[in-house]
Amino acid sequence: MSIYKHSYRAYTGRLTPVWSRVFVLVRYGFSEIWSSKITIVLFTLSLLPSIFFLFGIYLANNPLARALVGAKNVGFTSIDAGYFLAMLQIHCWLALVLTSWIAPRLITFDLADNALPVMLSHPISRFGYVAGKFIALFSSLSAITWVPCLLLFCYQAYASPQGWTGNHLRLAAGLFAGALIWILFLSILGIALSSWVKWRMVATGIIIAAIFIPAGVGGVVSGVLRTKWGMLLNLPITMSLLWQRLLGAAPSSLGRRVDLPTSAIVFSLLLAAVGCVAMLNARIRAREMVRG
Amino acid sequence: MEVIELDGLQVRLGSRTVLDGLTGVLKGRAIGLLGPNGAGKSTLINTLLGFHDPSQGTARVFGLDTREHKAEIRGRVGYMPENDSFIGNMSGVRFVRYMAELAGLPAKPALERAHEALFYVGLGEVRYRSVNTYSLGMKQLVKLAQALVHGPKLLILDEPTNGLDPIARQRMIQLVREVRDDGEVRLLISSHLLRDIDETCDEVLILKNGKLAALCNLDEERSSNRSFLELETVGATERFTVGIRGLGCEVACFPGGRIKLVLPERVESRDLYVIAAEQGVQIRRMNRRRDSLEDIFLKAMDSDVGRPTDVYL
Repeated sequence: MSIYKHSYRAYTGRLTPVWSRVFVLVRYGFSEIWSSKITIVLFTLSLLPSIFFLFGIYLANNPLARALVGAKNVGFTSIDAGYFLAMLQIHCWLALVLTSWIAPRLITFDLADNALPVMLSHPISRFGYVAGKFIALFSSLSAITWVPCLLLFCYQAYASPQGWTGNHLRLAAGLFAGALIWILFLSILGIALSSWVKWRMVATGIIIAAIFIPAGVGGVVSGVLRTKWGMLLNLPITMSLLWQRLLGAAPSSLGRRVDLPTSAIVFSLLLAAVGCVAMLNARIRAREMVRG
Repeated sequence: MEVIELDGLQVRLGSRTVLDGLTGVLKGRAIGLLGPNGAGKSTLINTLLGFHDPSQGTARVFGLDTREHKAEIRGRVGYMPENDSFIGNMSGVRFVRYMAELAGLPAKPALERAHEALFYVGLGEVRYRSVNTYSLGMKQLVKLAQALVHGPKLLILDEPTNGLDPIARQRMIQLVREVRDDGEVRLLISSHLLRDIDETCDEVLILKNGKLAALCNLDEERSSNRSFLELETVGATERFTVGIRGLGCEVACFPGGRIKLVLPERVESRDLYVIAAEQGVQIRRMNRRRDSLEDIFLKAMDSDVGRPTDVYL
């Protein structure tokens, strides 16, 4: 084609490898995410706790600074598993808020005007499409969860006396694994739920509801049947238990009351993820399913 | 070159057989896909694109099996769906560029070709507007632009004139003809409108209840009828018919001076006027009979759908 001649001209140039088409989706996904000012506000807010925790680590390792701010007590704050657990929990719950905002932006624009037939008629599979959206969401969530947590761990390792790092490597592994499990789950959940709703605000509400409504149901089940297993539906509790065990932190009072096995928690998360994959499989199609 | 080869193709969706035993080879520059609602036109297109797997038989596009070479086929095909299918909050140029990149063009050439494709289809002036703000005709054109942008070998158009007013329809048909006449792209056009197919296609596949009702080459059908004439004459008709028989024409006479004849290849219609002048006969009307696509379609619909039928005119 030529603008001036207005005649058709076939493309004869170089083509990108098929595997790289997923990253086209990622790039356009990022563009869509960051085109919203609300995303920027939420992202900034999600990083504010990091500054607070950074300040805490700075004070804990700097007696002069402690004196300057009037916190003369040596035990002003101890940088231990509990400190990093609080850091991880805050970041991870902020990740839920960010997911509820950006996951619908990634999917619902494609669904609102039925873009899937056109998109999937190109050399990109349904798996590739979901993978592209997933990578865009997962990367954005990484930037506010395990990346700042590990950076703070590195700062603590730098600022603390020699030997601290070697004794607390488990914290780094726990921070990484705990955040990774959570954002993997959030990414698949956010994309799956968004794929079933054409309206973004409704999808945002559904993602948050999908976390907290089963928690209420789980509480009712546990109360009525007098069993602890209903708590498996309570994601805030199960994730707190998981994070606490990954970091080796002392169990909270709730953790002592609800003693769910780690394997059961992981299994329930896996089961929910499989359900999300099934939802995506049913929804991400070039055509509506015809049932005879 | 075979564009599409169907070999006993059967497609089942759920428990329903939507396409049943389609067999045929399509070689035309522009292939029309006709059939009443529910005949299986869109399912055939979806199968060619690899959206549905055949339950039996095979379908090939440029010799590539639709079950095994989905990515390769999609790389060579541009698809314009029947219904709205775009990302409404994107500008026209961004949407077309996105589709070009998904088809494998690097970012810079994709942007260049997105601009070119939008100018080509006549949306150059509105390419920075959100697709949501386009009229129905513009939305059809932006779908055509995204189907063309990566330079496909086969362009699949599903109801390209759907919902267009007469002017927009004519514009779309003109674009399709230009693409066809350029010769670099083969076309598969599905439409309910016989006129659209008649104006753009040289081969037609007619489906009825998921079965092949007819497969014929429109150009051949047209040329075979080119020498079939109907005359209305006044005067000495009998002597005139003797004269034109002498030219080698097959002639049948009817009351009222009506004559039907088939011209041999070497004879032209002006020869008839010469004989008519010699015999003192006036030729009041001369119709060159041309079986319309409608005739072909109606014959196909009347045919036994249980078996494929060649349509002879």
